[in-house]
Formats: sequence, C-alpha cells, structure tokens
Amino acid sequence: MVGEHSVMPVTVPRLDKAELPTLERFREVNATFPKTAEVLAHKRQGGKVFGWLCTYVPEEIIHAAGALPVRITGYSQETELEDGNAYLYINNCSFSRSCLQMGLRGEYDFLDGVVAGSTCDGARRLFDLWHYYIKTPFHHVLTVPRKYTEKAHALYYQQVVQFKQHLEEFLGIQITDDELRHSIEVYNESRALLRSLYELRKQDTPPITGAETMEVLDASFRMPKELFNQWLNDLLDELEAQDRAHKARARLMVVGSVMNNPEFIRSIEAQGGLVVTDELCTSTRYWSDPVVLDGDKSPLEAISRRYLNNFPCARMVPSDGRFGRILELARDYRVDGVVSQIIRYCVTYAHDLPLLRDKLKAQGIPMLALDVEYGTSGSGQIQTRVQAFLEMLEARKKG
Amino acid sequence: MTTSEKPGGKISAIVRACRLISRMNQANPEVPKSDALYYQMLANYYTRLLNAREEGKFIAAHTVFFPSEILYAMDIVPMHTETTTWMMALFLGEQAEILAAGAELGLAPEICSPHRGLAGAFALGALPRPDVMLWSNLICDNTAKSGELIMELNDCPGFFLDHPFQRSEAEEKYLISELEDMISFLEEKSGQKMDWDKLSEIVAGMDRQMELFREIGELRKAVPSPFHIRGFLQLLTTDYLCPGQPEATEYLQALRDELAEMVRQGKGAVSPERFRLMTLFVPPMYLMGFLEKMSQEYGAVSVVEPLFTRWAEGRLDPSKPLASVAKKASLIPERRSMYGPLGEEALKDITTCAEQYRVDGAVYWAFMGCRHTCATIRLFKDILNEIDVPMLVIDCDIVDPTINPQEEIREKLEQFFELLEDR
Repeated sequence: MVGEHSVMPVTVPRLDKAELPTLERFREVNATFPKTAEVLAHKRQGGKVFGWLCTYVPEEIIHAAGALPVRITGYSQETELEDGNAYLYINNCSFSRSCLQMGLRGEYDFLDGVVAGSTCDGARRLFDLWHYYIKTPFHHVLTVPRKYTEKAHALYYQQVVQFKQHLEEFLGIQITDDELRHSIEVYNESRALLRSLYELRKQDTPPITGAETMEVLDASFRMPKELFNQWLNDLLDELEAQDRAHKARARLMVVGSVMNNPEFIRSIEAQGGLVVTDELCTSTRYWSDPVVLDGDKSPLEAISRRYLNNFPCARMVPSDGRFGRILELARDYRVDGVVSQIIRYCVTYAHDLPLLRDKLKAQGIPMLALDVEYGTSGSGQIQTRVQAFLEMLEARKKG
Repeated sequence: MTTSEKPGGKISAIVRACRLISRMNQANPEVPKSDALYYQMLANYYTRLLNAREEGKFIAAHTVFFPSEILYAMDIVPMHTETTTWMMALFLGEQAEILAAGAELGLAPEICSPHRGLAGAFALGALPRPDVMLWSNLICDNTAKSGELIMELNDCPGFFLDHPFQRSEAEEKYLISELEDMISFLEEKSGQKMDWDKLSEIVAGMDRQMELFREIGELRKAVPSPFHIRGFLQLLTTDYLCPGQPEATEYLQALRDELAEMVRQGKGAVSPERFRLMTLFVPPMYLMGFLEKMSQEYGAVSVVEPLFTRWAEGRLDPSKPLASVAKKASLIPERRSMYGPLGEEALKDITTCAEQYRVDGAVYWAFMGCRHTCATIRLFKDILNEIDVPMLVIDCDIVDPTINPQEEIREKLEQFFELLEDR
C-alpha cells in the first residue's frame, strides 16, 4: 500500500562531518572493529584483551585486572555465514553464527580470553564451540541464575568471586578492592553519560537520532572506557552547541534480541519514524543501572548485585521485570509505537512476544513484530511493514 | 487470554488408545509382557489425570526433567507437558490442530513444537486445567520460557525451578533450596503437606529404576543387540512420567528380564543384525512404526542413545530424599551434554559409547526446535570421525510431520546404510 506519507519528505539528515566530529571518531572505531586502533595499541603495550559475550558478564572485573574488555559481536551487516553455518547448525541464532564465523576467521585472534554467562542457549553453545575450535587461551563461563532471590544473589556472587579468582590466576595478579572501586567509578561514569545522551532523546525534537545513538553505543563496548567517556563528554558538548532537531512521524522504541546495527534503525528513521529509546542488551539493558557502592557491601558484592538485578533480559523469570521496564521506558520517552525485532531462533524473546503484546495493548501502545536475522539492515519486506506501521500510528494520532 | 475449562478431551482419547494397545498386547502371546505393562502404565498415568478433577485432586502441570517425585510424594497429580503433547501426536495424530492454535497465540515457528503445541492445546481447552504450573530451565530456553504463557492461559499460579548451569557444591545447595521453596509453594497452594517418608520410598524406587536403566544399557552392548528402536522412547517416557513408581519398576524389571533372556539365547531385535547405530537426539515420534519397519528391513538397530538413555554412575540415598532428588538431576543422561558446559568429559563419553557398543554409524535427528542440541552436530561429527564412525544428520521435527516427508527420510537412511555396507 502506498499512502500519502510514503512520499512525504522525511528529513533525517546524514551527518555533516564538521557537525559532530566526535561521532565520526566513534564511527571510525566501529568501522575498524574488532581490530581497532585502540585495541591494537593496547596489545602493542603488552595489555591483555578479553572478549565477553553477554551483559551478565561483569566487565568491571576485567577492567580492574588491567585488561581491556571488548564485547564480542558479529558482522554489523548482512553477510553470508558459510563458516558459522558449517559449525553451528542453522537453528542457532544468526548472532551466534555470525560471532563464531568471525572467531573462526581469526578476526578475534588478538583475544587473550573469552568470558560468557549461561544466559541463553545461543550464547552457551557459542561459548562451547569457541572453546573447542578457536581455543582462545582463557575461557570462563559463569552460572547466571534466572531469579532475583537472595539465594540466587548468593550463588551469582559465588560465581563472580570464582571468575575473579580464575582471572587472577591466569594473569598472575591480585585484583584489589581499590582497583575494583576505581573500575566501578569509570563504568558508572560511562553509564551516567549515556543516560545524559538518552535524556536528550526525551525532547520533542531530539538532537540525535536512534541510528546515531546506536553508533555511540557500539563504540562503548569496543574501546577503553576512559577514552569512551572523554569522547562522549565531547559529543554531549557538541550536541549542546548545535541546533539539531529531529522531527518525526512517530516516536518509536525498538525492543527484542541483540541488535547493534545502526543501519537497521536508520532504515526505520529514513521512513520518518524516530527511534527515541530501546530495550536491547546493546543499549538500555547495557547501561541503565549503575553499580551502587554503599558502606556495607564490598565492591565485588556491589558488582554482583548490579549484574543480576540489571535491567532484565528475557531469560529472567518472572518476565514482569522486563515488561515493567519496557512500559516505563515507553511512558518516559512518550513512545507512539514499539518495534519488536526478534532474531530467528532467539526463543527467549519469541516466548515473551504474546505476553508483551498484551501488556503494550493494555497501555494503548501498538507493536510491530519483525522476524529478523542478526545484521539485517531493514530492507525489503521490513521497510514495507515499517511503512504500514507508521501510517497506522499517524492515523491513530489524527483520531 | 484465558481458556474455558473443558473435560480433557485429548487425555480421554490418549487413555482409550493406551488401554486398547495394552489389551491387544496382553491378548497376543508373541508380544513381550513388558509392552503390555508399559501401555498399562501410560493408561494409568493419564487415567489419574483424567479423573483428578472429579476426585478433588490437585493437578500440577510441569515441563520435562522436572522432579515429579515430589508431586507423587505430595499426592499431587502430575501432567508432564511435553510428553502429553507428543502423546497427542503419537496416538491421536492431532498435531496440526494444536500447532495451529499455538501459532494463533503468536508463538513463532522457531519455538520448539511440543511447547507451541502445548500452549495451543491449553488455548483450545483440550487439556485439564492445572491448579499450578511448574517449569524449569533444565534443559533449555524453551522449557525456561514456556511456563508463564501457560499460567496466563489457565489463570493459575506457577513456580519456576531454577537449575544451576554447572556443578559445584554451591550450585547443588542452590538447587536444594529451590526444591525447598517449591515444596513450600505447593504446600501453600494445594493445602497438602509433603510426606517425607513417601518421598524416601519414591527415591528408593528411583534408585532402583536407575540401576535397571543401567542394566538394560549393559544388555544392549550384546551382539546382536536385543532392544528395538521404539523401546528407546519407552525408556524416556517411563522416567518422565513415573519416576520411582512401582509400576515403572515392574515394567523395567520385566523388560530387563526379557532382554537378558534374549541375550542368553543370542537373539537380536533384528535378524540378521547388520548395522549397529548410535542414535543422537530423538527420532520423530510419529515415525516410530516406520522406523521399526526399516530397522527390520535393513537389519539396523539402535544400540545406544548417549544423550537420552546413558545414566551417569551414582546412587540416590533415601535417607536424604531432597538431596537425592537434586542429585538425580545431575545423573540424568541429558545432563551430560545437553545442559552445562560441553566439556572434554562429555565429548569423550560419545566416543567411548561408540567404542563400547561397537557402533557402525550414528544418526543425528536434528530436531529444528532444539537449538542447543543441534549446536553439537558438527562437534559430534568431528569427534566420531576421528574414530572412523560416520554420522548421518536428518532434519526433522519430533511432532510435526510437515518438516521432512517420510520418503525423504527413507531415502537418506537407505543411502546411509549403503555407505555403511560399502565400508
């Protein structure tokens, strides 16, 4: 269907390089990942680099050990996954297959270690095959409970302690409480800065698009945090100095499986929707909650509590925790509609879909559910469906 | 999203089918006694479920690998969700209807079909409404995620049993504490108290059953091997539905005795035995008759199923019933390579199995709904290749026959048998 809005001029301008120079620096990091200048420089100086697979892996511990944590992601574009498919059967999610392929092709050969959590079937099997076929020197998997009870916290804390000990043993060092406190400060600063960035998106005409925000987020787990914090401060200054304002046909929220491809969001925004917030493990679920240090807790306890209590993944039980946070975001960011993108065979999210749809419906928020593959740019059929969704949202607004 | 309760129409049909088969088996002197006992056990299980409401019993629906020993000890009627779905496929052939109902709920086709079908069956009101839903993350994301929708469909409370991923003292303690919490939940919801003496008895029965499973496994090493392919599913179902129950022990003892006698007489399940196969994962339920025929036609027999019938060594202690229920979770065959990190030990067990059972080839049933299992296909193929055991992979769905036509499966198996013959 071609509606009147399908030909409406929608202005989500591509960036003039001079406008936001810091965003260009983030783009450079993403364009060269995994072997970014920052990673290579760290290695040249004799530093260790550890890849982590899921947001339930406490990065601060790796950072406190003096190593560089980087998130293992797959190709941020549509790519043939010949090697990934040859080693992981096709009913494993394309995120796992994409990451594995990059590992098999040596694109992560600089890694000194890989750390995963028992978070979902895709992640745990990716870890198993990585261990067997890629043989990165250090491997560790944490048991991550699916509940938030005190007993679950006690078990997860024990796992976090074990991980720290394993890392210390491997590196031949001791990680002190002071070092952990410092890492918590660095990471909390990063979280606070990302919150400031997201606050801008609450405006009627935000100065930054969803696609641009995704570019910043991608860089956040691909470079040293201290440097990222400096750059993000610079970006916030630049945004304040500029008079950028993005109008949209509808304010959207993206939810669902792991996704870190700005092009997917750009394709939605090119049609006039503006992604103002998201519920993804590469975005709000990654940065929303700080580690809270208080008088009674050791830094390790504080880290452990934060990571298990973090903005929940669909793996956690009950799902109401996740649903509640999604509804809160939808309200705070005044979302007109939600785009759910679920990677095929990402069943934790697929199981939640009928329940989430009902919760959103009860709040009068329509949802577009898309089955996607990891790295999809949102072309073809997806564009058509997004277009129809935007038309429906506009019709609702008009009453 | 709630259902109006109807008497369990599907359950009633399953009971009728099982009773009929049991009676036919009893009347046929050529059918082993164990077969009649097995179907009687199934009929009894589903009769208890069918009559539960009328008898004022409390019904607990639960996912696979759930410790239903606890339910039996509390006089709660269990409803094993996945098995009930595949029974509907196996006996009633009604998978299309329930899968369509699951799709209508918005469940994606990538979700494991027994779970989609189960939600569909509840949405249709075809199963008895449970008083509680119990589910766990043993063995996958599908089991971990299937409970909440069923709670909503039935407007019933539920309890999620969180199984730790690895094995350590702390994780064992965590599981025991989870079991304690679950018992408190059940006591509160059902108004029935845990009978610890009864649980001890059931644990003793389960310990005996585990020994029988191991003895049966040992007998299958014989050449020729005495066990037919459908027996594999019967072993699974026995543990899934009736752990520690006297009728299950009686069935397993009868089966063990029959197999021992066959071994003594040098008789095999197929004659002549030409190909000894390792079965990886589960063949489609609806093809068991067809596979049985092919097995006879080609002299091919499944001698071992390391993912499902090879119990780890270890005993249960009836004087520590709850710790034993927790321990059983670490001894089940599925725990070795389907849950927890896939370590060297689990991989070694696959090749050890192949050698001990003198396997000629392996058939991996790649159930498209089971992602974490299929992730091992390449790995198992590689390690079996190292000991010169070829592996065939067949895409399938365990309850949905539309994924892979029977003729295509026949063709693949025939080609594989030719390859084995040439070797």
